[in-house]
Amino acid sequence: MKSEKEIKQACSSPDISVKIGDLELKNPVMLASGTCGYGLEFADFVDPSSLGAVVVKGLSLEPREGNPPPRLAETPCGLLNAIGLENIGLDAFLKQKLPWLMERNVTVVVNILGSTLEEYQRIAARLSESSGVHAIEVNISCPNVKKGGVAFGTDLVQAANVTRKVVEVSSIPVIVKLSPNVTDICAIAKAVEDAGATAVSLINTLLGMVIDIHNRRPALGNVFGGLSGPAIKPIALRMVWQVARCVGIPVIGIGGIATAEDALEFLMAGALAVQIGTATLVDPLASKNVLNGIVDFLTKNNYRNLVELRISS
Amino acid sequence: MAVRHDMNARILLQEEVGPDTFLMRFEATVISEYARPGQFIMIRLCGYEGHDPLLRRPFSIHAADPDKGTVDILYRVVGRGTRQMSGLAPGMALKVLGPLGRGFSLHEERTPVLVGGGLGVAPLLFLARHLKGQGGSVILGAVTSRQLLRLDAFENTGLDLLVATEDGSAGVRGLVTGVLDNLLKDIGSHHARPAAVYSCGPMPMLKAVAGVCMEYAIECQVSIEAVMACGLGLCLGCAVKARHDGYVHVCREGPVFYSDQIDWEQL
Ligand SMILES: Cc1cc2nc3c(=O)[nH]c(=O)nc-3n(C[C@H](O)[C@H](O)[C@H](O)COP(=O)(O)OP(=O)(O)OC[C@H]3O[C@@H](n4cnc5c(N)ncnc54)[C@H](O)[C@@H]3O)c2cc1C
Ligand SMILES: Cc1cc2nc3c(=O)[nH]c(=O)nc-3n(C[C@H](O)[C@H](O)[C@H](O)COP(=O)(O)O)c2cc1C
Ligand code: FES
Repeated sequence: MKSEKEIKQACSSPDISVKIGDLELKNPVMLASGTCGYGLEFADFVDPSSLGAVVVKGLSLEPREGNPPPRLAETPCGLLNAIGLENIGLDAFLKQKLPWLMERNVTVVVNILGSTLEEYQRIAARLSESSGVHAIEVNISCPNVKKGGVAFGTDLVQAANVTRKVVEVSSIPVIVKLSPNVTDICAIAKAVEDAGATAVSLINTLLGMVIDIHNRRPALGNVFGGLSGPAIKPIALRMVWQVARCVGIPVIGIGGIATAEDALEFLMAGALAVQIGTATLVDPLASKNVLNGIVDFLTKNNYRNLVELRISS
Repeated sequence: MAVRHDMNARILLQEEVGPDTFLMRFEATVISEYARPGQFIMIRLCGYEGHDPLLRRPFSIHAADPDKGTVDILYRVVGRGTRQMSGLAPGMALKVLGPLGRGFSLHEERTPVLVGGGLGVAPLLFLARHLKGQGGSVILGAVTSRQLLRLDAFENTGLDLLVATEDGSAGVRGLVTGVLDNLLKDIGSHHARPAAVYSCGPMPMLKAVAGVCMEYAIECQVSIEAVMACGLGLCLGCAVKARHDGYVHVCREGPVFYSDQIDWEQL
């Protein structure tokens, strides 16, 4: 028979694992693409294998050098960036970065980007063959060069097409990352669900700009950039709430999460897991603190698992 | 991997040392032990729970004393964050992340020549103290004598101190590059040890210093700035055009670069 203490202890350690398709994450806290490098740059602060997953910087088939500087501008409680999808390319990632992540048992999600449907598909096929890659996250906020540079993610048909192409060749879960720069986020979410996505993650950055009044020119080399950080949290939360109520697949919440309280709001809104982005840039320990705070909150308030947090209406 | 820490660092000293320019000393034991000349720290100003200003601010390490466990920065008030810093009193604490980046590579077999303009003196004092006993020179420049910073501290390093001001109110009238040109000529003809130049200052000055060094085929290292978010190599925001292809990242591959790594035409 179990002692009272043992029973108490069992009750006091809530189940925080989550499932995205066949992939089980040990906890719901992931690092967002573009804010954690390739997962190894700050392992001296947070052990990447202690997190639910690490979503590495968006990869293209060939390396990309990115946008001219300045690439960053600060806004009230926010960050505007126009990195321009700089990355080392798929081959270099597989050869130089992935072995390190595998050795340390990190759950790796690879964020992918392309300028054509074919590019997305070729990357997805290569990743599916690579052991050590646990899921693909498709960044559909990229301009489609064959459609006059309109982002795949802002067009229902294109969003569904990219998803279908990637799903066709993938043997691992496919998470489609939604752009918030659309009029109807639910319509896009449903389109990618119908096209076979395992899950959706949202939101990517909001399009914005800053003007440098002293030099009388846009602050970013690229003129426009993507807004992230605490400033976008209410918008992200609203969209997660909406999408969680219009699709049946898991929803991963992203946008301005810096504390456990922020993450709990997303989990209550209907997210199965969360990603920490800009907060890591400000405080490399943010993800660890969010995770510990979630466990504390569940324990203190006698939640047995994450699903119990969800607001059902 | 390099040792980096995010410390709760108590302010020990805040002193105005020039126009709008302050010296701030922190108690930051671990950082003081591992810091190398040319490295920097990132200071969090939004408090522990606030989000504004969101990003940390980068500052060169001006001095580090592992015996006392202290780290100094020299900063100028240019905006919101630095204005906020100038209002802080000793006893208060800030989150300080460091030491970060790649500092100066020291070439002990060469005659060191340090060239600093304006606030560019910040990382050079730490370097000068490291080079103690190797001889060499430091050239400091400013628009006018009032803006020359930390002259007394540099005098105590044992390096020959040369000063240039644009209005001639102290030292030679003109730019640091004029003084550098003469010095390199002299070292070239009289010394067995070739020179190595270490420089920090405004971009146009660094470009000119790199130009002079190229003429004399002298190796030149420069400490440069870029807008930063993380300081850790995570965001790729601090890009500067590289001489060959693509970009270098100031927080990770720098902030100190060999001058031939940078595409000076694109700056
Ligand atoms: C590696 C590195 C080392 C540095 N070392 C020092 C130092 O030792 N002493 C010192 O006083 N400053 C140093 N700086 C610059 C310092 O970080 C900025 O002055 C500071 O971040 C400005 O913050 P703020 O909130 O006061 O200004 P903001 O309100 O953010 O900006 C005010 C003005 O400062 C400019 N500015 C902002 N960030 C930078 C930057 N990173 N580089 C150049 N200009 C900037 C802006 O374009 C704007 O015009 C360093 C920068 C880097 C990247
Ligand atoms: C510097 C930077 C780079 C980013 N790069 C990518 C990327 O390569 N692919 C992607 O899908 N999202 C990228 N993002 C978006 C983030 O993953 C995240 O969706 C967004 O920043 C909102 O979350 P946050 O407020 O927590 O940062 C980037 C964000 C930032 C700030
Ligand atoms: S500041 Fe983020 S990579 Fe350099």
